[in-house]
Amino acid sequence: MALTRNVYQILEDIVGPENISEEPVILDSYAFLWLAETVTDSKFFTRPEAVVMPGSTEEVQAIVRACNRYGVKYKALSTGWGPWNAPGDEGVVQVDLRKMNRILEIDEKNMYAVVEPYVIFSQLQVEAMKRGLTCHIIGAGANTSPLASCTSMSGMGLSGISMSYNARNPLAVEWILPTGDILRLGSLGCGAGWFCGDGPGLSLRGIMRGTHGAMGGLGIFTKCAVKLYPWPGPRQMHFEGVSPGHVAAIPQNFRCYVLSFPSWDSFADAAYKIGEAEIGYVMGKQIAAGIVPLMAARSPTEYAQIRESGMADEIMQEFRYALQLILGAHSLREIEYQERALQEILAETGGWIPSPTQDPERQKTTFRMMIKVDGNSAIFRLSGSFGTSFGAETSCDAAMVHARLGEEIKKKYIEKGVIADDGAEWAWGAEMNEHGRFAHIEELFMYDPADPESAKGAAEFIEETSLLTAKQAPGLAIWELARGGLGPKAHDIYGPACSNYHVWQRRIKKAFDPNFSADATFYIEPEE
Amino acid sequence: MALLDYRNDMQRCSRCSLCKWPPLAQIKSWRFSNVCPSMVWGNFHAYSAGGKLIAALSLLDGRIDYSDKFLEIVYQCQMGGACDVSCKVTRDLEPLEVMLELRAKCVEDGQLLPAHMVMIESLRNDDNPMGKLKAERGKWAEGLDVKDITREKADVLYFAGCRYSFDQDLWGIARGAVTLLKKAGVDVGISGKEEACCGGRAYEMGYRGELTKYAEHNIETWNTAGVRTVVTSCSDCYGTFKYHYPKVGKTMNFEVLHITEYLDRLIKEGKLKPTRKVPLQVTYHDPCHLGRLSEAYIPWEGVERKVLGQIVIQDPPKEFRRGTNGIYEPPRDVLKSIPGLELVEMERIKEYAWCCGAGGGVKEAYPDFALWTAKERIEEAEATGAEALVTACPWCERNFRDALEQDGEKMKLYNIVELLLEAL
Repeated sequence: MALTRNVYQILEDIVGPENISEEPVILDSYAFLWLAETVTDSKFFTRPEAVVMPGSTEEVQAIVRACNRYGVKYKALSTGWGPWNAPGDEGVVQVDLRKMNRILEIDEKNMYAVVEPYVIFSQLQVEAMKRGLTCHIIGAGANTSPLASCTSMSGMGLSGISMSYNARNPLAVEWILPTGDILRLGSLGCGAGWFCGDGPGLSLRGIMRGTHGAMGGLGIFTKCAVKLYPWPGPRQMHFEGVSPGHVAAIPQNFRCYVLSFPSWDSFADAAYKIGEAEIGYVMGKQIAAGIVPLMAARSPTEYAQIRESGMADEIMQEFRYALQLILGAHSLREIEYQERALQEILAETGGWIPSPTQDPERQKTTFRMMIKVDGNSAIFRLSGSFGTSFGAETSCDAAMVHARLGEEIKKKYIEKGVIADDGAEWAWGAEMNEHGRFAHIEELFMYDPADPESAKGAAEFIEETSLLTAKQAPGLAIWELARGGLGPKAHDIYGPACSNYHVWQRRIKKAFDPNFSADATFYIEPEE
Repeated sequence: MALLDYRNDMQRCSRCSLCKWPPLAQIKSWRFSNVCPSMVWGNFHAYSAGGKLIAALSLLDGRIDYSDKFLEIVYQCQMGGACDVSCKVTRDLEPLEVMLELRAKCVEDGQLLPAHMVMIESLRNDDNPMGKLKAERGKWAEGLDVKDITREKADVLYFAGCRYSFDQDLWGIARGAVTLLKKAGVDVGISGKEEACCGGRAYEMGYRGELTKYAEHNIETWNTAGVRTVVTSCSDCYGTFKYHYPKVGKTMNFEVLHITEYLDRLIKEGKLKPTRKVPLQVTYHDPCHLGRLSEAYIPWEGVERKVLGQIVIQDPPKEFRRGTNGIYEPPRDVLKSIPGLELVEMERIKEYAWCCGAGGGVKEAYPDFALWTAKERIEEAEATGAEALVTACPWCERNFRDALEQDGEKMKLYNIVELLLEAL
């Protein structure tokens, strides 16, 4: 269903001819997305009818109004990493926000930054660090958009222990509602600047994104104030080496650890205690046991040799219940206190620091990866892609239930040969947010997107684990991931187990988007 | 390899956009946080390396066909390879190879750019892509007391390359390089008008046959001449000799050095002694072909296998070029050896340096884009506070000169050779 010439012309008049395209070569680069093959049997979702690239709030608003007027759906994206960025069906205009890429303000005193959609975490972090501040970076990596994760999509990351997750980090927001009206949320709405995301009156942040975000299903966000946090490190981090071996010097007031535990239970106990002691700066189970041998290998081939020789079995076992922790303090005395506290926690929980991780060079690499969040896409390296499924925001103890269940399901798929054998372990994340208030977990798996059998197996794995989340495991499922496996009815499967949230979500969609203009494929279909 | 051989790479791209940025840990400011000129110029995702992989996959799968926009996306790119380095920080994919194969396929299918056809015509007629007569090739060295290796033997061949041979503004650099070698007592010769193009630019534009022709010719000529070392001041030629020439399978009985490597060696051996002060604060631009694209060719013939279920391995193991082993320190060491000269670094350096804008046939086909790219680099250089921008490649120098001239910028521009000559 191509756009009519009239609608195309109207959109072109809004953004200018250089900022709109319906060339197939351009459209396909938006239809192609990670995980697409687990949903569509191909690397491509449906092509958008056109891509428009607005450069301002006014242009975004005009596009949205035009779409409402002419009955065209739209779907916005920022960096565009993930299937939820794709048009759900034919007849959708893709709104690429790439040209809106400025950091508009960094308020050092009030510790926030105002960003546009295409600013990425790496950019924001380096500018914040120059002022003794930093930002929470999501687990996907620093190549993604703070605005997107604050307003529209998940937001979990390793710094959640001290900086929470990105449902907590948006302050005032500029929001183009699905109808094209502009809503200035929080203090911005009463002309008081960007410092607060709530009021006047009732807060709308819950409607704006709830736990996981509407992923474009409730309009387009054009500006967002993002909360910043103290950075007790240097104003500019110093790196040594050349690609891909950059390592970061660890400042005196930081420590970088890998901590291992004898079981999921002691792992969870330690996570709680670290949270309660409020000593963690960045923490999570980022490096899976199945990945550890890669750190000693120069290639997947060497990795496989090490694994197949059995040399890695002991190492993998040692890292099976491991987490990575960075301590950061504002004084040497404080870091010494934190170290002592950690030693006590290890003694109480039976944890230890694996000797290979005490190598200073490895610590520098881990430190870089955890502060800069620049190495996570390495998990694509071994098999060509990874998938994530079966997760929750929940208590740490409940997260461990997820982890155990995940291992059992994963074993079946490993035996079938459709996903990589990572030792049937890899409950990634296991992050403790807000100093232990809740944890985040995802069950990761590796598959090959170039192999149809593997892609099919990946889709089945996502579906099976997603259904299990609805039936057995406590906590809120990660909707945007389950949607791929379960299709449009995902919410109807989960909803009854979670306070019938899906009923409310549909009402919100209908109330805010009476013309159903904002493509809600990964949010919620308006009708049951 | 052919485009089809990289189909798995295309399918394994995750569209993460890491190819648009320097390695993330190396981003130092918002302002200079891009690494792909093509993407910043074109904006739509298709202009990125990832986007070109998708375009290639779509083409192979018959989802799309050639169009003017398709060709613009393919050719509006300097092929500088920064995207490749950024991708390979975490991945074992070959985006740059895919882009090269895609251009080769375009040429095979007759999808040509008129500006490139002019270059190729000139290459076929006069052994250079610059529209100049072959007979004029040796003019840059007139009056220079240097051996002609077509008539007498020399240990070292100085290879000027097409840009130095025909761009009269730059003749002084090539002459200076020979002068420095002679000062150090090197037994050096040149090929004069018998010199022929390296073939590298043609290869990057998709014309594979030209590279093979010139590689075979040059290797044979130099082997026959008995030269022990081939030295060039052109980074493009250097990258071609190091990476593309070994692919043709002919034994190269000579060592290849960039002039900065050789000068660095001569300084460290005490054969050149920079003693005169050059009081100047400079910043150094890493040419793509001297840096990340100069890594030696690593032959690999093997197959992809699956182990441990779905883990993909190359059998035998394949070593990837990740920009790690480019020529980064020798030019810096030469600069540091000059008394009074202070080197300050730009934000994007070494393997993640921003391109000058001239490569890949862009300067000829899309001159505005080439100049914009250069201006972006000049702005970065100016941000360091340095008085001068220094480089070690004639293509970079030409493009920077044009950009500075167009904007009336005051920043000085030097080649390393000029500064070293001043210091002796």
